Amino acid sequence: MKTTRKISFRNWMLTGVLATGLAVSSVFAPVAKAADPLKIGFSMALTGPLAGAGKAALIAMQIWKDDVNKAGGLLGRQVEFVYYDDATSPSKVPGIYTKLLNVDKVDLVVSSYGTNEISPAMPIVMRKGLVFMSLFGLAVNDKFNYDRYFQIMPAGPIPKDDWSRGFFKLAMEQSPAPKTIALLSEDADFALSAVAGARRHAKRIGLKVVYDRTFPFGSPDVTSVMRAIKAANADLVYIGSYPGGSVGLVKAANELGLKAKMFGGGMVGLQFAGIQKNLGPLLNGIVNYDFWVPEKTLNFPGVNAFLKKYQVAAKGKGVDPFGHYLPPFAYAYLQILGDAVTAVGNLDQKKIAEYIHKTTFSTVVGNVKFAKNGEWATTRTLQVQFRDVAPNDIGQFNKPGKRIVLYPDSVKSGAIQYPFRK
Amino acid sequence: MKLDKFWISVVVVLVAGFAFTKLVDNEFYFFATYVVLQGLVMAVAWNILGGFTGYVNFGSAGFFALGAYTMVALNKAFGLPLPVMVLIAGTLSGLLGLGVGYISLRLKGVYFAIATLAIALVLETVVNNSHYLGGAAGTYVIQPKESFIFDNYIELLFMFMLLIAVVATAVSRYLSASRLGMGLAAVRDDEVAAECMGVPTLKLKLISTTTMGIFMGLAGSLFPFFVTFVDPVSAFSLLIAVNSIAMPMIGGTAVWYGPVIGALVLGVVQETATVTISSELNLLIVGVMLVGFITMAPRGIVGLYEDYKAKRKGQNNG
Repeated sequence: MKTTRKISFRNWMLTGVLATGLAVSSVFAPVAKAADPLKIGFSMALTGPLAGAGKAALIAMQIWKDDVNKAGGLLGRQVEFVYYDDATSPSKVPGIYTKLLNVDKVDLVVSSYGTNEISPAMPIVMRKGLVFMSLFGLAVNDKFNYDRYFQIMPAGPIPKDDWSRGFFKLAMEQSPAPKTIALLSEDADFALSAVAGARRHAKRIGLKVVYDRTFPFGSPDVTSVMRAIKAANADLVYIGSYPGGSVGLVKAANELGLKAKMFGGGMVGLQFAGIQKNLGPLLNGIVNYDFWVPEKTLNFPGVNAFLKKYQVAAKGKGVDPFGHYLPPFAYAYLQILGDAVTAVGNLDQKKIAEYIHKTTFSTVVGNVKFAKNGEWATTRTLQVQFRDVAPNDIGQFNKPGKRIVLYPDSVKSGAIQYPFRK
Repeated sequence: MKLDKFWISVVVVLVAGFAFTKLVDNEFYFFATYVVLQGLVMAVAWNILGGFTGYVNFGSAGFFALGAYTMVALNKAFGLPLPVMVLIAGTLSGLLGLGVGYISLRLKGVYFAIATLAIALVLETVVNNSHYLGGAAGTYVIQPKESFIFDNYIELLFMFMLLIAVVATAVSRYLSASRLGMGLAAVRDDEVAAECMGVPTLKLKLISTTTMGIFMGLAGSLFPFFVTFVDPVSAFSLLIAVNSIAMPMIGGTAVWYGPVIGALVLGVVQETATVTISSELNLLIVGVMLVGFITMAPRGIVGLYEDYKAKRKGQNNG
């Protein structure tokens, strides 16, 4: 008698599902710990559009971890990172943070880099009542009002307005005072917010807006936009743009001979050494935001030692070689968390949050005191002016004298050149 | 009898899903499963048009985003209960699908595919320029504090998405097995011949595109509450469109359960890769699997299994 072994499709599917389930379970199963490290979890943009900055931030965070572990760790425990790449995709973030908290059982969490990647983690973190140190999120807490949220970018207590406050203060101090302004924004998150703040300042001051447009995100050719701005003949030109757009606009402004008295504002990219080298002398005179530059007025305790370590670690990693813009702040947000945990003496999230609220922290980015909404209590968004930039010399940007700090007065390192082109 | 088994399975899946929310505390599993189920709904919806009718839709992300942004608008304007907003989002996306169906009167093949892609781009431009919807800067959606009978909101979203997935699968199965499904297959195989034989091709195509639109919109409708921050880049993401095509291709487009298998396999692999290797690897995984299946197993996993079954049968008979 011949017997036939038949595998029904249903059984085949069941086997497949079980095998997949087993494989997944083995991947997600918690691994037994040899020691008992203090685990800090986060997602980071290690691939995708923000990968360059995300990787630089991770280098800075690892330097902090090494520094802390060399000094004996936190609460006598060695610090360990558990992190996953969020691919600069907000939809990845909720899953990652629940895994960090429920599967990896991390002790503390900090944010990824950027507004879009910070927001999706907020409901999860809030539900658990965790302290959430955040890295460069613009006004995220405006909607959530979470009292354990702290943001390290020095935008100020009213982030969207404080961002451009210095630009307008400088402009209105000049004689004769400017009367007209052109506003241009790249069509994406940060740029729109920055220009919206500038628009409010212009209205408050009474400047006449003679041009107010957006241009598509990632637009390859911005010459026609700059031509229209030049035709508007405004005294001030305030731009909100991303690296590609910023480079294009600076080049176009030079080619077309823009005659404005002040030009710049919220151009992302002009803070990065690679772009600075690429643009060279075309940058001269531009007044733009920044967070840290190698001027003597910003020589905070530990910052140079940190940058020295960063610049060694960054070699060959495809990230900004000097690390002035984001890395010191990526170090500082962990520095604050670490200091608070040490001061409180345990991981009680309520006490840690209370301590952070009431304390002024001495960090590599200077003294940091948070406002009630978790933003810096006072803005320290710098307005810097490029000066005496020579062609084809990347090293010059790692020294003082090329980005003069004009605002705020507490860290001012020189006077404005006005109009921006002589 | 077969019908009974299917409906029993449906009840079992829903009961198991509900039990899952009551027995499992670990929220991560709900987040991960939600993403897989969202992919499953998109894949099943895509297959209703692409697999059954043979009209390739490259604009899946547009329908998904329409569902998502309808929710954003309704939540902001009226704050209606979640099920009501989900139904409205699905209806609007269905109406867009109906519009796409009328396009198919004049466009076929690659031209229809390009038109669907163009529709997604038009929608993205509209959202980018809509201040009310947050424009290019994006907008926040705060999850309500109440989560019905569930312990937290993600369990509610998971259960909702499971229900949508089950309904989508049931509708897809009905379309495939019914007289309607035969009509769709006739359109796919030779639309002119089908028309000559008296098959109401336009009516069938409109049913197909509308159903596809409804389910893609439903898949996107819960997205704002899932991520709490929606911007055009994430709502119109390339990965959404690519996954919608890749999952049915990998599972098999000819039968209703092909996209279900494809979505489960690809979705689980992608979610595992996210927390083990790299999120960015997802696109590479999709690409490699898609190329592999198209070249070596064009009828997907279902086709592979059927070939294997036929071979075994041949051996046994021989």
